[in-house]
Amino acid sequence: MTTPLLEIKNLHASVEDTEILKGLNLTVLPGEVHSIMGPNGSGKSTLSSVIAGHEAYEVTEGSILFNGIDLLELEADQRACAGVFLAFQYPIEIPGVSTKFFLKAAVNAIRKYRGQDELDAMDFLDLVEEKAKSVNLNTDLLDRNVNQGFSGGEKKRAEIFQMAMLNPMLGILDETDSGLDIDALKIVAEGVNKLRSPERGFVVITHYQRLLDYIVPDYVHVLMDGKIVKSGDKSLALVLEEKGYAAFEPSGCSCGC
Amino acid sequence: MSCTVDNSIFEKLHKNESWLYTNVSALSTITFQDNEDAHAEFVELYDISKNSPFVVFVNGIFQENASRLSGSITINTGSGEVAKRSDSQIPRGACDGVHITGTQQKTIHVLQIVAGEAPVACYGSVFIHANEGESISVAETNVGIGNCDHLLMPCTEVIAEKNSSVTIVRAIRGSKKAYHLSSLHVEQHESSKVQTHTLTLAGKRTRNEVYAYLDGKDCESNFDGMYMLGQDQLVDNHLRVEHNMPGGNSREFYKGILDKNAKSVFTGRIYVKEDAQQTDAKQTNQNILLTDDAEAFARPQLEIYADDVACTHGATTGEIDDEAMLYLQTRGIPADAAKTLLIYAFLNESLDELTDDEFRSNLVEELLSNLPGGEFIRELYL
Repeated sequence: MTTPLLEIKNLHASVEDTEILKGLNLTVLPGEVHSIMGPNGSGKSTLSSVIAGHEAYEVTEGSILFNGIDLLELEADQRACAGVFLAFQYPIEIPGVSTKFFLKAAVNAIRKYRGQDELDAMDFLDLVEEKAKSVNLNTDLLDRNVNQGFSGGEKKRAEIFQMAMLNPMLGILDETDSGLDIDALKIVAEGVNKLRSPERGFVVITHYQRLLDYIVPDYVHVLMDGKIVKSGDKSLALVLEEKGYAAFEPSGCSCGC
Repeated sequence: MSCTVDNSIFEKLHKNESWLYTNVSALSTITFQDNEDAHAEFVELYDISKNSPFVVFVNGIFQENASRLSGSITINTGSGEVAKRSDSQIPRGACDGVHITGTQQKTIHVLQIVAGEAPVACYGSVFIHANEGESISVAETNVGIGNCDHLLMPCTEVIAEKNSSVTIVRAIRGSKKAYHLSSLHVEQHESSKVQTHTLTLAGKRTRNEVYAYLDGKDCESNFDGMYMLGQDQLVDNHLRVEHNMPGGNSREFYKGILDKNAKSVFTGRIYVKEDAQQTDAKQTNQNILLTDDAEAFARPQLEIYADDVACTHGATTGEIDDEAMLYLQTRGIPADAAKTLLIYAFLNESLDELTDDEFRSNLVEELLSNLPGGEFIRELYL
């Protein structure tokens, strides 16, 4: 049997003593794309923060295994080195260093962790050139300070570009579609689709079905009040789009499920 | 000639409101000695741009052999009484100085070193006069050498005539034991542009005063500063910017990192006269404290008598941003390195604006050698 890429069991997580995730289960196998959809406040962003290793979130119960290793034992940077990548909903701006400069630090930290030689300037710039093309990103942008003065679309494309540079096993996209117009959305989705492979998995967190027209998921899960209340294939996203999240409220459900 | 200083003035200076946080009374008990050694070995260390004009003073004495003068740079010996207009209380006395005028192709580097086995006190004087339409760039490096309680009191005066442009970078470097009490006096006329950067990377007690008088219409002025200090170091950036005519646009932007028990003081008074309508003035002070013992005192001050102006001030003091730390860590960068990178980024934002490449990269080098983990940053340069 294949080792799951990501195996989350009965995950409970709190922030400042408020429980947000209340027993979440999720298994992602290599090559799969899972979409997590849910209304505001359901815990979508908490889930991505917990997987990435945000210290403000406390895991009170449950486990997260990544390729069979206990992810919760690792610091955020070790998780990244092990192969987890989080594309932020709101990428942070860092005035004072260029994206290239910052990414060279990241690429070499990860290569070092994985026992690979660090890239020299030439090889690094070649890699930048190649990966920037794949998300249609102008490399001039990468000489500017990290995310500073980037448009909404540029920020999200830059996140996908970073993902391509860091070559993770698991990509988590936290509302990557928010604030994007349809053209920018297509470019971002195309960038993600190029990264799909039989080994790599994705968790695509989104509010709207729209993104899933372009990044077609294998599974769709509905997250409500800290738990996954319904799972299905991509057609579930269409049901959601039509009926809204209210139909999935545990209290509003009369079918006895 | 060397300088004599009546040091009794320092005893009670901090009783004065504008020196409240900066106690330099220790200076009143130090016996300063004359020292006429040329200290050529130290001069060589700070000769940053070998193809540019270079004016050297050691312990207040002009060093002809070490200097490279060009056309419109002249040296005054023993005079140097400047800047009578401000209310600066930093003492002045006779000293050697340099007078710069006329458009210059290259940045003029002025080095003032104070060195010796026993404490030395000296003044320094730089006078910059940009006539109509001229453009002048000056990079000053003020350095204390060794472990003595040296005292350097450099004074720079700028007159920027109509449509002229003046850029001044002042870097305080070297010993962490020296006292630097500096003043910069700026007089601007119509549509002139003045840009100053005051960078404090050394010194035990450093006071950087800026007095600016925007006496013509539509002046543009940027007064920026940066500092990185550690154990037992203090910097006091004290500014007064006077908008005396309409249409002036000024910015004060000071930022710094404080480690151990370092202290920073920022006082950024902006004064807008009744006639100075359409003034746009901003002042900002940002501090990052790396420890619980570090302290920052920010005193943004506005004094406005005109009614059609935009004046803003802001001060932030805090720790390194957790969200930014997480962002870097999720890219595989370990916490220590992420912290170093964020400190570097914070300071580099200020250095990025320096136009003289050699001067900038030399300062970046000093910054990195002072920064724990700086070696890691050096490897990232492409």
